[in-house]
Amino acid sequence: MTAQPEPTAADKTVLICEDDPNLRTLVRLALGDGYRFFEAPDGPSGLALAERTDPDLIVLDLMLPGRSGLDVLRELRSGDDFAETRVIVISAWSDSDAAAIEAGADRFLAKPFDPDELRDAALALIEDDGAAG
Amino acid sequence: MLPADRGSATLSTRLIAGSAVLALLVAIAFGILVFAVTTLDDATKRERHTRAVSARTLQLEKLVLDLDTGLRGFVLTGRRDLLTPWTTAHMALPGKLRAFRHLTSTAADERRRAGALVTAINQYVRDYAELVVEIAQENPAVGRQGLVRQEGARQLATVRDHFANFLSTENALSAARTSAAKHRSDEAIAAAVIGLIASALLITGFGFYLTRSIARPVREVAAGAASLAGGDLATRLEPRGVGEVEDLTNAFNRMAERLEAGRRELEHQNERLRESERAKSELVSVVAHELRTPLASVLGFTSVLLHRDVTDEQRREYLNIIEAQARRLGALVNDFLDVQRLEEGKLSIAKELVDIGTVVREQTELFAGQSSKHLLDVSLPQTPLPVRGDSNRLAQVVANLLSNAIKYSPRGGIVRVAGKQNHDVVRVSIQDEGVGIPPELQREIFGKFVRGHATAEGIEGSGLGLAISRSLVEAHGGSIDFESTKGRGSTFWFELPTASTG
Repeated sequence: MTAQPEPTAADKTVLICEDDPNLRTLVRLALGDGYRFFEAPDGPSGLALAERTDPDLIVLDLMLPGRSGLDVLRELRSGDDFAETRVIVISAWSDSDAAAIEAGADRFLAKPFDPDELRDAALALIEDDGAAG
Repeated sequence: MLPADRGSATLSTRLIAGSAVLALLVAIAFGILVFAVTTLDDATKRERHTRAVSARTLQLEKLVLDLDTGLRGFVLTGRRDLLTPWTTAHMALPGKLRAFRHLTSTAADERRRAGALVTAINQYVRDYAELVVEIAQENPAVGRQGLVRQEGARQLATVRDHFANFLSTENALSAARTSAAKHRSDEAIAAAVIGLIASALLITGFGFYLTRSIARPVREVAAGAASLAGGDLATRLEPRGVGEVEDLTNAFNRMAERLEAGRRELEHQNERLRESERAKSELVSVVAHELRTPLASVLGFTSVLLHRDVTDEQRREYLNIIEAQARRLGALVNDFLDVQRLEEGKLSIAKELVDIGTVVREQTELFAGQSSKHLLDVSLPQTPLPVRGDSNRLAQVVANLLSNAIKYSPRGGIVRVAGKQNHDVVRVSIQDEGVGIPPELQREIFGKFVRGHATAEGIEGSGLGLAISRSLVEAHGGSIDFESTKGRGSTFWFELPTASTG
């Protein structure tokens, strides 16, 4: 048995749950190549896609059509299936950080966010997982 | 606001009438008292008179006895010196009789009795005494005859009987009259005392009435005023008292009502101010959020262009996004400014001839490409729909209603856009199959920052669109309204006056 290869982004699946298509593109660009991306424009389809793809990381907006991001987050954290899933919340409601963390977010970034900061945050969370696993 | 003259007696008339009645009562009591005193005084005068008459009568009797004594002494002895009492009395008698007649001249009955007495005295003096003295002076022996003496004794006895009768009658009458006067006086004093006691009781009662009808209500008004001053504006007084006091109570209650209404109005204004403050602070929050979303694209893509390697095609795409989002920022800023200007009434509206059909067609084409889930069904007549106004502002209204129809039907569906002319009115309606408006929100849907559950449902918007639209339609002399069923969709329409094209 060969040594387990260093975990790379290429192994990781990212779900982007954001209603603004431009921002979905921006999140993809910010995280860079090497992830497998899924995109959902609203709360219900985000939840459905999460069930199907079991992502390693979810980048979640709070202001979502159908169901709010906080709602989606609480639903995800209510069961065991997504206990390990890392969640970064991005929101223009800059004072929603406490609520987001309380609902189970790992990081909170206020819009407008710095693409490099998002990339570094995602890497840090995933490497954390790699070290632990 | 002076109270009208009332039919019932006012307090002043009652007080004046009461005082007058009491004064009359006291005056009557005093009158009776004065009558009693006068009666008593009368009785005293009568008594004094009777005493004087008795004294004079006794003097007269003594004079007559003196006459008789002198007469007899002279006749029996013949000594001239013994005739002195006779001479003195005989000289004094006419004056004394005159005085007696004068004293007894006032009352008819007394005058008559006195007259009889005087006549008896005169008879005695003229018909007997003077004769005897004359005879005795000429012939003392004859004078001494017993017959004469006996006749003298008889004459004197008659006169003395008259005296006794006169005195006893005078005393009896006087006693009866005095007793009657005393009796009347006693009765009058009793009546006066009863009258005075009754007056005292009535005055006390009147005092109680004054207390009840003035002092107590005034005290209550004072207490009420203190309570008002203490801040209890719900203070009201029982309608009590008569006339002016009732007016005072009523005026107090009106004042309290005014004050309370004033405070309610102030509280109301305060509430509205707080509400408007809340709305303003919500606006700040909404503005911040609405500006940050496009700003995130602008800054994010700029950062990507600056720090990452991108292809020419990507560069062009990102720059397009940056431009569009920057425009969206500008549009939002314009929205907020529009609201500001509309609130201050400073928005200027052009008055050109506009075909609202063209405006609807253009806006629908713009929105048609934005959503794949919605089908925009446009129904317009062949002929133009002419209105007078500002084509940009009217386009803003149509765009806002279209944008709402799409935003508030997140599951998609058909959006029916129709324009038609009904005589002098042009009507544009936009119907969606969306979430509808909950009944509790329908009344305030044209207000500012009213977004219902849109935020929770993730529907973006400044909450200003309908407020701006209504102000714009009204600025064009039109009206805007809607009907909506929650869960079934909404139909918004606006109507504008048809412009004469001729």
